[in-house]
Amino acid sequence: MNALISTAVFGIFLMISGLFIKSKQAIRILAISGVVAAFVLNIIDFRQYGASATELFHGMLSVTNFGLLFIEIILGCVLVYFLLSGKDLANIGHYTGEYFALIFFILCGVVLAATYGNMLMLFLSIEIMSIPQYILAGSDKHNLKSHEASLKYFLMGAFSTGFLLMGIALLYGATGSFDITTMNLAGRPIDAMALAGIILIAFALAFKVSAAPFHFWTPDVYDGAPTVVTSFISTIVKVGGFVAFIRLFHIAFGSPDVDKHWLLVLSIITAATLIIGNVTAVFQQSVKRMLAYSSISQAGFMLFAVIAMNVLSWQGILLYAAAYSLATIGCFAILMKMKDYTYDGYNGLAQKQPLLALMNTIFLFSLVGIPATAGFLAKYFVLSAAVEKGGLLWLVILAVCCAAISAFYYFRLIWAMYFKAGDCQVEEHAITPAFKSVLALTALLVIILGVWPGLILAWI
Amino acid sequence: MSLPTILFWILAVISILSAIGVVVAKNPVHSVLLLIVTFFTITGFYILLNAQFLAVVHIIVYAGAIMVLFLFVIMLMNLNASGEPQKNNLVKFAGVVAGGLLLIVLVAALKKADTGMLIQGSTNIGLIQNLGKVLFKDFVLPFEVSSILFLSAMIGAIVIGKKD
Repeated sequence: MNALISTAVFGIFLMISGLFIKSKQAIRILAISGVVAAFVLNIIDFRQYGASATELFHGMLSVTNFGLLFIEIILGCVLVYFLLSGKDLANIGHYTGEYFALIFFILCGVVLAATYGNMLMLFLSIEIMSIPQYILAGSDKHNLKSHEASLKYFLMGAFSTGFLLMGIALLYGATGSFDITTMNLAGRPIDAMALAGIILIAFALAFKVSAAPFHFWTPDVYDGAPTVVTSFISTIVKVGGFVAFIRLFHIAFGSPDVDKHWLLVLSIITAATLIIGNVTAVFQQSVKRMLAYSSISQAGFMLFAVIAMNVLSWQGILLYAAAYSLATIGCFAILMKMKDYTYDGYNGLAQKQPLLALMNTIFLFSLVGIPATAGFLAKYFVLSAAVEKGGLLWLVILAVCCAAISAFYYFRLIWAMYFKAGDCQVEEHAITPAFKSVLALTALLVIILGVWPGLILAWI
Repeated sequence: MSLPTILFWILAVISILSAIGVVVAKNPVHSVLLLIVTFFTITGFYILLNAQFLAVVHIIVYAGAIMVLFLFVIMLMNLNASGEPQKNNLVKFAGVVAGGLLLIVLVAALKKADTGMLIQGSTNIGLIQNLGKVLFKDFVLPFEVSSILFLSAMIGAIVIGKKD
């Protein structure tokens, strides 16, 4: 497990380097090289593990090539994130080394989420992902909204962790095992205690991925946290939560006589997430807040992968993780260069910065799901997984309607950039040629994945 | 009735009464003191289950460190009964309904639950020696990984708490 070790070690390394290296630039470059190193080390790992699970550390980790591929995607997205927004992250406050260290610790949690084989590791991975987020959300110490975001996130997160632990305890009581493969709920008539446990765990994980009706923290936290942090927690950490969700529900609770008990509950949660996320996003005036609601609605689509439970849904979540993360990180990177975060702040961007406007359009197309972008194929995979599962046609139709609604608020931004006259304020000095070229490469990647998904899917 | 059963019932009654007291008490300091009583009764359960290590840790960590912190915070914030914000009745009513529904569902679910599934194995499992062996053999990865969790919490204390 090179990825686990390298992310943890680089986290500690960056934390200590903050003590000796005063240059923010140097720490940023160290962090970028750390991600690259983890990326390469994970490729080396990839050849050793096959499609069937390899148990490590007495079953604490169960490593498959799906998990490793997911980690690879995440590390790739983090690399893009560091290249696009690393400078903003370094400049939140005085603790540059610590911010990067926390990001690496979160990555360590995501690695565990993709490979855990035991409820204890699930709990640890969720917590390692959450606690650095509370800190990063409150890292802008001169902004009262950032404090509010941090405290709100912490209190709500601690509460939902309580639900998770209660669920795990009840499941342990019912099955006598923490191991997700030997839990074996299928063999015998299902116990009421196990059912209560499954539902409590489902609620806790739904909270972590901000599915309705557990989404109330999301807009405030995403709006209040520094934009560069929002960009990270709404993408990498969210899809990390989803991989934990999908692995638990497919491996431990996936057999047909168990899933009939929770499928309807999760279907209703999916429907509510889609409706609430999309309808509320229509009414937002701030682009940052719109992206927060958009992340709720995209979570609704990712939930399809959890409830469909077939090969297509595993492929779908991989594609969705890449498509959603890249597009959202790109949108946020451009947002950070704007001085005014409202829709009107984007007026006339196409005249002033044609390349930025074009890239933003590609990212927004991907988020809507226009064909030839990665977002289209990702949506296609998760929805066709649900169709293949059967009995979920009503939900698929609802999702397509919601995707149509989402076109409204995404296109409104494109409208503002291209067709409204205005004098948008951009931080010109921050838009370097390097930034532009990375942004163009990201947009290119979004299109390549949309035309040739085999780039990712050929590996599993 | 054997002695452990009698002790169990005494502890159970005290722990439930004091737990209710934590919620009901108007004065936050009384709440905390009742919480300490609850923790001590839970420690009693651990001892009845032959888990000495857990019992000692529970006293030191919960009843000792965490409760003292609780008291500090309450005293620093200078809370008292009159300072409690008034919640409007609609919110209270909604809370009661929501909480009551959860209670009904859980009770209905757990009433039918088969609690006899855990077969009692060796009673020495809670002793420190056995616990250490399990911790450093089967559970060595979670043991090490939790250090990352604590490290990030410590970084958080510095990043958030230190003056700029």
